[in-house]
Amino acid sequence: MRARLRLAAVSSLLTRPLTDGIEHGLGSDGFELTFAPLADCERRLAVGDADLALLPPASYRALAIAHDLDLRVVPGLAIVAAGQSPTSVTAVEPSGIEPLEVAFGVTWDTVERWRRQSGLPYVYALWFGRATAAVDGEVARLLVQSLERGLAQLPASARAEAHGGAPAGYDDRSAHKARYGLGSQELSGLGAYFEHLRLAEKSPVVTRLRLFDFAYLPEKPQTVVWPRQKAQSAEPSLDVLLSDAAAGKRLSPAQGLRLYEEAPLLELGAAADERRRSLHPGNVVTYIIDRNVNYTNLCVTACKFCNFYRPVKSKDGYTLSREVLAQKFAETVAMGGIQILLQGGVNPNLPITYYEDLFRWTKANFPLALHALSPEEVNFIAGIERLTIRQVLERLVAAGLDSVPGGGAEILDDEIRHRISPLKCSTDIWMQVMREAHAIGLRTTATMVFGFGETPAHIVKHLERLRALQDQTSGFTAFICWPFQAEGTRLKLRDDTTATRYLRVFSLARLYLDNFPNLQASWPTMGPAIGQSALRFGGNDFGSAMIEENVVSQAGAVFKLSADDIERYLRAAGFTPRRRNMRYELLPLCESVDPKLETSARVPSPGARTTTGSTTGKVTGNVTGATLAIIGAEN
Amino acid sequence: MSFSQIRDKVHAGESLDFADGVALFRHPNLLDLGQLANEVREGLHGQRTYFNRNMHINATNVCVASCLFCSFARLKVGDPGAYTMSLEEAWGRLRARIEAKDPITEIHIVNGLHDGLPFSYYTDLLAGLKRLAPTIHLKAFTAVEIFFFHRHFDMSVAEVLEKLRVAGLDSLPGGGAEIFSPRVRKKICDDKCTADEWLDVHRTAHRLGLRSNCTMLYGHIETIEERVEHLLRLRSLQDETGGFQTFIPLAFHPDGNAMSRLPGPTGVEDLRVYAVSRLMLNNIPHLKAYWIMLGLKTAQTAQWFGANDLDGTVQEERIYHMAGAETPQGLNLAELVHLIQSAGRVPVERDTLYNVVAEGSALLPARPFRREVPSHLEVLQ
Repeated sequence: MRARLRLAAVSSLLTRPLTDGIEHGLGSDGFELTFAPLADCERRLAVGDADLALLPPASYRALAIAHDLDLRVVPGLAIVAAGQSPTSVTAVEPSGIEPLEVAFGVTWDTVERWRRQSGLPYVYALWFGRATAAVDGEVARLLVQSLERGLAQLPASARAEAHGGAPAGYDDRSAHKARYGLGSQELSGLGAYFEHLRLAEKSPVVTRLRLFDFAYLPEKPQTVVWPRQKAQSAEPSLDVLLSDAAAGKRLSPAQGLRLYEEAPLLELGAAADERRRSLHPGNVVTYIIDRNVNYTNLCVTACKFCNFYRPVKSKDGYTLSREVLAQKFAETVAMGGIQILLQGGVNPNLPITYYEDLFRWTKANFPLALHALSPEEVNFIAGIERLTIRQVLERLVAAGLDSVPGGGAEILDDEIRHRISPLKCSTDIWMQVMREAHAIGLRTTATMVFGFGETPAHIVKHLERLRALQDQTSGFTAFICWPFQAEGTRLKLRDDTTATRYLRVFSLARLYLDNFPNLQASWPTMGPAIGQSALRFGGNDFGSAMIEENVVSQAGAVFKLSADDIERYLRAAGFTPRRRNMRYELLPLCESVDPKLETSARVPSPGARTTTGSTTGKVTGNVTGATLAIIGAEN
Repeated sequence: MSFSQIRDKVHAGESLDFADGVALFRHPNLLDLGQLANEVREGLHGQRTYFNRNMHINATNVCVASCLFCSFARLKVGDPGAYTMSLEEAWGRLRARIEAKDPITEIHIVNGLHDGLPFSYYTDLLAGLKRLAPTIHLKAFTAVEIFFFHRHFDMSVAEVLEKLRVAGLDSLPGGGAEIFSPRVRKKICDDKCTADEWLDVHRTAHRLGLRSNCTMLYGHIETIEERVEHLLRLRSLQDETGGFQTFIPLAFHPDGNAMSRLPGPTGVEDLRVYAVSRLMLNNIPHLKAYWIMLGLKTAQTAQWFGANDLDGTVQEERIYHMAGAETPQGLNLAELVHLIQSAGRVPVERDTLYNVVAEGSALLPARPFRREVPSHLEVLQ
């Protein structure tokens, strides 16, 4: 019998649902729960009198810095601000209940302001402790059970807490003040919150929420049966299935397949649109300004669908020099870009130190986030360096890696992968890199490229695997899919890569990936018209005003849009455009820009009359006016 | 008028009025519009999407009119880029297609308003084409051209049409309608015939037994109200004559013309115009997504927003391409069929008058939309 796990928590109506089950004897021989004021809980954790404490995120950062603690979070559990502000913002609670100020040191005002500005949730508290605490899957399971019991008991515990006060008031207020769960949006909110703390403290120390490694079980994706069995009479009708999915009810693989195969395009789209509206009620569609830099095109993977790579000894091969990179990065900053999406070929001549040096140099010289190295590259570096994936990721993070792009997923099915990219990492490795990245607090995206002749079952299976991992880690911020771009590649196939199939797959993804907050429309491959239409088929993000793109543009996708164009497309579709960062945190609105800059800086289309004006205003940090389509040929 | 009230009217088979049209254009939920338009479309045509095999001839781009939205026209002979085909040259285009064994059923002819050509140029053009291919359908000269002939050659509109018909004219294309509002016409195409004159040419053509199409150029400076007004005028002429076969909304393309500072309509607006047109024009049977100007992707998607026709294979399209259209200048049959089938629709090859030329297995080996495990996956080494 191992030692009892010592838990510490503030006693409050908000924490009660999490602790309720434990108080009532759940895992009684495993836990020892102490209620104490906030500062005391912190102290207990710091000195080792508690193994796990239910504390605000600010404490996580403060303890980690002040006591040099290596902290870990219990996945899936958090107290999150919910609902609208009460009519009186005074935060005076009914008698007997501690106001928020006392429990967690914040007021409703703060919470509201945070949510309005960042567009992300406010997290009051989470369970965390030292990395060495004996938190395993069983402990995590018990803590989740405790919450389940607590939520079931919520009205009763509220009344008990109120000492016989007015129960109706509590039921209402407690239910609307908090929800419980650490999902993708909450992780994003925490990431943004830590960054704001860091900036306020003018500190160089970045805080990442790391998860207890053994606290989550390996994800268990459901099996996808293909061909799908004929609908049983007990199954809901297509209409019911669509309205359930629109309301956020989880789809089984068979149901996903059925929607893909049977739902009329616009009904599927309308359900996805409804789901998007409930996930993103503000009618805001976001986009980011970043630059896609492909540091090398030398690649050993030789995927048949790729028109970008060159074999390692090719004469057209390149690895960008520091000078070229510096110029690209400086241009990005000048145009208001906030991030570099850095991906390459898989180049065997580049050791991990190349990346570490590059990242450190970037961070030392440019205010840019590094969204870098897809799982394939991470895995390859691990292979040539004889390191584990975890070790590679840890070293890259220490050098400045901020997040991992979800590229190279193609279709997460080894049969298909073997056919189109036999040398690329397997489905399991791709998933493992993502799992490890999430565990150490990196956020990632996920992608899917379809149109390789896969069946609907392959597509549903892909979505199912992503959803199952997201259930465990919540580490994905967004999902992006696009059809294979065939031009000039060695893969000649006649699969359906048309617009209507894209919209169908896209809508299905919005409904199936119920734990993914964001769905990005892919205008670079589908063109602005369909990209924009996809926002009415479940999308809430327009991707990037890309300053540069080299891969799909080599295979026939040649669309380019400036930030101005993007905002126009979003407004024309009835949305409010907002810029974001990789966490999907809304960025402050920028001031309007000299309209002269807009017309004069635009790249004329071929055959168009030449614009006589030259660039008048200098390109400032504000991009709205500048064209960002310096595509391609400069390499 | 709320959307659900409008939906009830549509379900009851009532015609929508001006206020309904404006409300539809303003309705925020695009897919509501699409679903309702799709119901109407499927009620009329089921799953069928029509196309034809055709070619375009634009015999001259010399044009006395100077419409602001046009990138095609040149004012005078000898201006840079100006051209006029000799009759031999124009006939040669058709001869080349015949020699290529391309079974086209229609020639679409639209030209600039050239003030230096004799009327016989046009009659000879038609007659020569008919000599080469006696069964081919000649869909030629917009109402604007017909009206120009009427003025320029001092003949009545009916007389012009009769003479052209004798030479081989079979029907009129729908171009040149632009937007009927005098405010807009004064600004963007002041030299063109008025709305009344345009409508009157079609009225006359219909009375003579010629069928025709109609269009609307949208996405420039027109208001929503002006669009609805335009649609209602077309509907009212159709009530009178029944001669329109197809309505074709035309998206304004901004490159290379005097209005290039305007951005042009976006994809969502295109789909909205299609859906609203389908709902307003309940007496015009067909709605064409002209892929040349809409782009292949949007045209394909428009099949779910009311459109039931994708125009044709076209070859050597010039007018839209001079305005920056990035679509190919022609499609082959397989590509068109794929565009229709992959949207889950059933392709039907038609002639100009919507007689079925081929459908089902007569068209092509049909490739189903949902594919089995890929046996077709070929990798070039």
